[in-house]
Amino acid sequence: MLNRFLLRKYIGQSSLLFLSCGATLFAFAWIRVWVVSLLDMGQFQAILEQFREFEKFAPIDFDSLFTYTGRVGMTFDEPIVILCIVIWCIARGSDVVSGELGRGTLEMVLAQPISRTQLLFSHATVSVLGLALLCLLVWAGVGVGVYATEVEESVPPPTIRIPFFEIDMPLTINEPQKQTLRLRDRVDVNLYAASTFNLFAFGFFVLGVASFFSSIDRYRWRTVGATVALYILQMVMYGLGKAAESLDYLLSMTFFSCYKPQKMVLIASQEGLLAPWSLSGSFADMVLSPLAYPLILISLGLMSFLLATVCFNKRDLPAPL
Amino acid sequence: MSSEADTEPVLLCNGLSKRYGAFCALSDCSLRVEHGDVFGLLGPNGAGKTTLIRILLGFLHPTGGNCRVLGIDPVVDSVALRRQVAYLPGDARLPRHMKGEGVLKFFSEMHPFGELERSRRIADQLELNTKTRVAFMSTGMRQKLALAVVLGPQTPFLILDEPTANLDPTVRAMVLRLVMEARDNGRTVMLSSHVLSEIEDTCNKVAFLRKGRLAHELKMSELFQRHRMTALTSAEVVVPDALSDQVSIQTTRLSENQHRVQIDTSGDLAPILTWVNTLPLSHVRFEPFGLRTVYDSVHAGKFSQATTASSPEPLETL
Repeated sequence: MLNRFLLRKYIGQSSLLFLSCGATLFAFAWIRVWVVSLLDMGQFQAILEQFREFEKFAPIDFDSLFTYTGRVGMTFDEPIVILCIVIWCIARGSDVVSGELGRGTLEMVLAQPISRTQLLFSHATVSVLGLALLCLLVWAGVGVGVYATEVEESVPPPTIRIPFFEIDMPLTINEPQKQTLRLRDRVDVNLYAASTFNLFAFGFFVLGVASFFSSIDRYRWRTVGATVALYILQMVMYGLGKAAESLDYLLSMTFFSCYKPQKMVLIASQEGLLAPWSLSGSFADMVLSPLAYPLILISLGLMSFLLATVCFNKRDLPAPL
Repeated sequence: MSSEADTEPVLLCNGLSKRYGAFCALSDCSLRVEHGDVFGLLGPNGAGKTTLIRILLGFLHPTGGNCRVLGIDPVVDSVALRRQVAYLPGDARLPRHMKGEGVLKFFSEMHPFGELERSRRIADQLELNTKTRVAFMSTGMRQKLALAVVLGPQTPFLILDEPTANLDPTVRAMVLRLVMEARDNGRTVMLSSHVLSEIEDTCNKVAFLRKGRLAHELKMSELFQRHRMTALTSAEVVVPDALSDQVSIQTTRLSENQHRVQIDTSGDLAPILTWVNTLPLSHVRFEPFGLRTVYDSVHAGKFSQATTASSPEPLETL
């Protein structure tokens, strides 16, 4: 099903994009964690409180973010992370057929004794492995950030509770004492495994869609355009579904609803590391079990790849332009 | 190859057609190419040559008819077919991120008949620097590289779509030598080209396509036995019965007592020359019947598929 020479060719072809996306994701995830340490939790809380009315747009409730674990978990929803993953998926997915057709190289490759399915699967293998590595690099960046960062925390002054009034009174009026501690003492990196998998599933779906559009098209720019148009449409549907109660049915029609990395972190931190991998458990604000969401994305991605294979095998290959 | 495959022709097309909606790119094309043939495909742009080749390789699905290449139907198993065929596209484009050497290595590994050393040798013969990246190669260099890729594998069947496009005359001659070498090694070659002299020099059979139809088929040996004579005469020229199947005449009146006569001949010239010698002719011009003449006639639509090469029917009406 796979051709090792094609695999080698595709690895060579995509290595530059992979290296740039990988370096960006790793460095960003690391820096993002370091930035968490710069902003005092109290300050962060104060800032976030200003945006309470927009809480409904957030993937999880704000209170869950007032922990280092929650703040680090926001990395998976950062636009740069999403952008890099989407760039990889659309660039690689759109390349498989319409990209090669546009460059005119498909003819020479398919003049060799390889099947179209073999070509598509070899390409998909490199793209999916690349995607998996990119997601792992985000996790690795978070891990390195967590292990390399120290945070300062104010030590709460000793207090005394006044009877009847139930008020805590500090016993000292001095500046609160600060203590420095390692972030790894506050954050368990394993909590982000499920989020990393969710990010992979998200990318897998986008990759599948881009590959499908590529398999039926002959112009790469049109493939990219169609994929981006679908992506934006789904994003708008997600935004509208979140914004207006009357439009919340749109949430069930967009794949963005299946991307819940912060929720996965929350579940893992509250219910244990294995909880996000459950197909049976139910949690607040979740219609399905936690693992169902990435599995839906992966199933949709697999369907897209299957459709791409059928269409690519059935279609006529036009001569290079 | 099996003995069954040996007895079958290398290529057998039967009523092959390809339609795109109302447009017919190839219509009812029936061809036969035997082992060891160097088969030329001729026709103007858009005649259907590349469409035919692309159907043979399984790139396009035919809308009518069928074909078998080395006993394999490309619709059923195009991979097995491409194991036996080396193909040079009309506009061969190669991965731009690779160096010439990398391209040769990649394609020789991809093909079971691939042989890197042979591809390198051909690249050397074509005076190609394989250390250059494809992206920085000129059109001619890329064509040479594609030729080295395609001529490397020793497949039984070789399909070349305009192999000498963008090449200088020296390299063209080298490519034609390589084609003849392939034939001498027992390989069958299908060659599409617009350069008639190349077809004349290399092919033993030629097919003319026009507007998606097979307009004419020709054995070059028969073409070489055909000649055209033009002359002026004042008397009527009548072909003797003994030569009627070898000679055809077209007469055009120039003035009251002067006509221009065009005599097309096929076969042995000796008896025809004896007859011609008895005619009251002046300004006689004798020339071999070149592929150009046939091509022009086909292009002008004066040939049908039924017309055979040995027929002495006039190719042009003056």
